Amino acid sequence: MVYPSVRARATPFVRGRDTIDDAEAVARSLDGDLDAYAVLVARYTVRAHRTAYLLGAGDEADDVVQEALVKAFRHLSRFRVGEPFGPWLLRIVANETKNLTRSRRRRADLAVRLSALEPERVAADGPVGEVLAGERRGTLLKAIDVLPDKERQAVVCRYFLELSETETAQVLGWPRGSVKSRTFRALHRLRAHLGTDGTATDGAGTDGTGTDGTGTDGRDPGGEVSGG
Amino acid sequence: MADRADWPPDLEAELRALGREIDVPPAPDLTVAVRRRLTQPDVRRRFWPDVRGWRFRIRWRVAVPIVLALLAVLAVTPPGQAVIVHVFRFAGIELRQEPGPLPTPTGTPSLPNEQRLPLAQARALVAFPILVPAALGAPDEVVVSDGGRVASLVYRHTPYGEVRVDEFDGHLSPLFFKKFVQAGEVSGVRVAGRPGIWAEGPHEIVYVRPDGVEDVASARLTTGNTLIWDTGRVALRLEGALDKAQAIAVATSVRPGP
Repeated sequence: MVYPSVRARATPFVRGRDTIDDAEAVARSLDGDLDAYAVLVARYTVRAHRTAYLLGAGDEADDVVQEALVKAFRHLSRFRVGEPFGPWLLRIVANETKNLTRSRRRRADLAVRLSALEPERVAADGPVGEVLAGERRGTLLKAIDVLPDKERQAVVCRYFLELSETETAQVLGWPRGSVKSRTFRALHRLRAHLGTDGTATDGAGTDGTGTDGTGTDGRDPGGEVSGG
Repeated sequence: MADRADWPPDLEAELRALGREIDVPPAPDLTVAVRRRLTQPDVRRRFWPDVRGWRFRIRWRVAVPIVLALLAVLAVTPPGQAVIVHVFRFAGIELRQEPGPLPTPTGTPSLPNEQRLPLAQARALVAFPILVPAALGAPDEVVVSDGGRVASLVYRHTPYGEVRVDEFDGHLSPLFFKKFVQAGEVSGVRVAGRPGIWAEGPHEIVYVRPDGVEDVASARLTTGNTLIWDTGRVALRLEGALDKAQAIAVATSVRPGP
């Protein structure tokens, strides 16, 4: 029987492939090399999964990512050589997530998932500082949840996924200016929600989110934002 | 900036720190599953594909031989097992069978960048020949959408009430519309010797932009029944209160002339 010895050698497909860079993996994938594509799949699954999950796919992130990876392979000819592969793939992931949340006619319910973080879990015996930090995180998560969809997407990409403005623009398919303005508006709302002294002032903050100028940033000329 | 002093200490840094604390469930290893999906053409060639419980996608050119198999699967798979029970593509239209109640889109749905034009001008704007069903005569309205990607003929008063014909380039493989259908509503037909899909009853339809994103503003419920077919050059969908035989008769009468 040949199999046992073959198995013992383990992962013959991937061995030695790990070292190829994205560009080479893409080039080989374009030639139909599924082993090369498997390298990209392995390399980007975790990131793609986190992106899908946080953008609202939740428990269906697995399906979304699988779909996106299949689509990406089939549309690889549209990938421009020299471009980074990550944001290109995440754009497809974000699109698939949008399609999923839309087709299920539900708001991308980031919050429900985020609430499952149980900020209280550090509270029980922890020092007072930790308790407060836990409360603040909980408040912040709730505030993020009630943001308008696009502003929440901006926050997720910019801060939770730590993408640059340019990458965020690419992933969400927005002009860069929209990334800036939506991120700014989101931060403004979050600050208003949290209160300007940094403590959670739940009710008062929420009332102010629709109008401008509840926080000190209402007087901010805004030049800093549109410029930077 | 002076105002900064009043702000909470660096909200952006706080958000980043929060992001790192968020526990996302472990990502699955998808290398095997993706590879299997990518080698799936083998499955398509079988007459009776093993697609139950699987999402599968097919281009319209290879869709035809397995329409019957699909219909059988639609009939035997109970809804509610997965979010998307089946996905099926035909002539630039993706049919999705999902559990759950029919949605009720609100507002006035429209395709992107709709332009109402005389037929001759519309023809100059689109890359494919606009076909007109002789059985219905000249349309009351011709609408070109999304920079010539879709042409629609609207007939306000026919023996079948208002009838709409959407046409798009059948040579392009991308997706133009998604439909959300229920089991039992879809069957295969032939139009002038070519395969088509007959979908009964109102269902949701949404336009898919060239970048693959569904255009939310276009989502609407169809009025009546729909026939989807292609002529080899142009893909068409006919929508109205027609029965199957009437729809096929109208579809068979399409001509490149007015």
